[in-house]
Amino acid sequence: MAAGIPAEERLTNLVVALMATEIGLTKQQILDNVSGYRQRADAGARTDALEKMFERDKDELRKLGVPVETIGEASDPNDLREARYRIPQAEYDLPEDIDFSPAELAVLRLAGSVWSAESASGDAQAGVRKIRALGIDGDEPIIGFAPRITARDAAFAPLQEAIEKSRVVTFDYLKPGEDAARTRHVRPLALVDYEARWHVFGIDVDAEGDRTFLLSRIVGAVKMTSTSFDPELRLGAGERALAGLEEVAANNSALLEITPGTEASLRLGRRAAPAVQGIRVPFVDVHIFADELASYGPEVRVVEPVALRDAVIARLRAVVDANREVSR
Amino acid sequence: MSAQPKPLLAADRVRLYLTLVPYLLEHGQVSLDEAAAEFGVGREEMRSMVEKLTVIGLPGESGYWQQPQEMFDINWDLLDDEDVIEITNDVALRRVPRFTAREAAALLAGLQMVAAVPAVSDSGLVQGLIAKLSRGAADAPAEVVVAPTAVDEVRAVVARGVQDGLAVSFTYQAPDAAPTTRTVDPVQILITNGQWYLQGWCHLRRAMRTFHLDRVSAPQLTDIPITHRGENLPDAFAASADEGEVTVRVPERLASLLGAFFSADGAEAHDGTVVARLHLADPRGIKRLAARFGGALEVLEPGIARTATREWAAAGLALYHQPDGGDAG
Repeated sequence: MAAGIPAEERLTNLVVALMATEIGLTKQQILDNVSGYRQRADAGARTDALEKMFERDKDELRKLGVPVETIGEASDPNDLREARYRIPQAEYDLPEDIDFSPAELAVLRLAGSVWSAESASGDAQAGVRKIRALGIDGDEPIIGFAPRITARDAAFAPLQEAIEKSRVVTFDYLKPGEDAARTRHVRPLALVDYEARWHVFGIDVDAEGDRTFLLSRIVGAVKMTSTSFDPELRLGAGERALAGLEEVAANNSALLEITPGTEASLRLGRRAAPAVQGIRVPFVDVHIFADELASYGPEVRVVEPVALRDAVIARLRAVVDANREVSR
Repeated sequence: MSAQPKPLLAADRVRLYLTLVPYLLEHGQVSLDEAAAEFGVGREEMRSMVEKLTVIGLPGESGYWQQPQEMFDINWDLLDDEDVIEITNDVALRRVPRFTAREAAALLAGLQMVAAVPAVSDSGLVQGLIAKLSRGAADAPAEVVVAPTAVDEVRAVVARGVQDGLAVSFTYQAPDAAPTTRTVDPVQILITNGQWYLQGWCHLRRAMRTFHLDRVSAPQLTDIPITHRGENLPDAFAASADEGEVTVRVPERLASLLGAFFSADGAEAHDGTVVARLHLADPRGIKRLAARFGGALEVLEPGIARTATREWAAAGLALYHQPDGGDAG
């Protein structure tokens, strides 16, 4: 086999070839002439195998953000036998009027350093590198600040991909207090980091309404279906999601009594508004807030709402039960 | 820096070429070391990639070999003798490509995260950068939103200290301890899981310490220039030698939540549960973390930690056994 030519060489040659053509190249021209395919064809590789390789390469390049354009037959756009392929320079190049000042590069370098997840961190670094390749050297780096984003939920990556492709996903979702997870069908629109937890905002297909799901409550794998939706739905979704969460927080608050001078009074006091008897603290999710309140033990007492009060009592009781005296 | 760069996949190499070529054309002559550092690869990996650039070129017409001017070429002498890269003939890839959807998304989310950093918000550059990144992306990135965090007086004063290199003093109230007054040479503000921490040299303890800013009050910017910088910045949640050990058992699916609170080591998984050893100055302090898990976490050792946890939760529970309208004090 003429397999001596590595994939990256074939792919890069393909980019160069498709960028150099105005009218586009047919599949046959590519297989006959582009280095990496040509040698395989000469060595007797079957045409259908080479065509499959070209299809995969095309997908690979699109994943890298390289805009491979398919120009079909004018009379029948679905007939791809005579289709021509090219990479339009104007869609490939970073637009010439976008430039970055040294101060902007310094900010972007800090922004690029926040991801602890390896793949997102690599993407951010690659983005910064493109700006540096424009010949921009940054100001002194911004030191003394180390903001970190963690995205350790397994659901994060598949949801991001489904949003990019505007495809419906299904996943099993377990609400606290329910016995079994329920399968949801969702058009995912945005990922939202709110109070250090990742949420996916989207449209629940069965309920036909906007919903926000906590990634940590997704059980098992997120599956991307072949059903796509109108990408226009994604416009402004992040803002809508954030506004929705803030509205929930504004409409949900707990009346709490706290012991002054304790951890509870410090931590909750910052988020609180004074009330006649105690303080009022807004919250988004009963169960997550109950986890926090339970951690304060006797430093806080929930007056209302009842659901929160019951949730805290249940937690404290479970803690006592789990840590009974052991005879030894 | 000492970490061994990971081997690249074919797609990674293609992505690297697409940025490397315009980078080299823009910079003229670049040393191997500099290019390797810029692209996060090993020096020999970079050499090999630059050498292989010379087999990239325009397609030959059927039956003809490609002409030299249709191929990339480099200054071989310069590379072999001086380890310096220079492209001497280029055939394409002159311009920097657009950001991929992923690159744009990662940077856009990062920008929202750093927008709260005073050095960044003062610059007023964030909105313009968001617009540029969005416009420069090849495909619409998935929207990844990071909710903004508020900068209160404590955060503002401490940030000022970091930027100006001045010590800050404040009242610090650690859990289950009396408040103390601290003066700290601020080294770094760590923002993680929605919480702000100050790491710096504590004049009282004469050591690097990490302070949770929610527990800080009455912050004052002093006029004392800092004398300690980041030379020995500890891992924020690292255990120190004098700390006690607590052994806990949690369901495996919840184990990752421990990492956010303490550094766990020697965790053993068995039948869906994990036994982890956590380090705390006072083992009884585990009661707060244990109660947050609402019974899903069992404190195994030492006995005093288990007892403290049980009594902590029982005392909380007792508040609800009293008649309503009890002491509001």
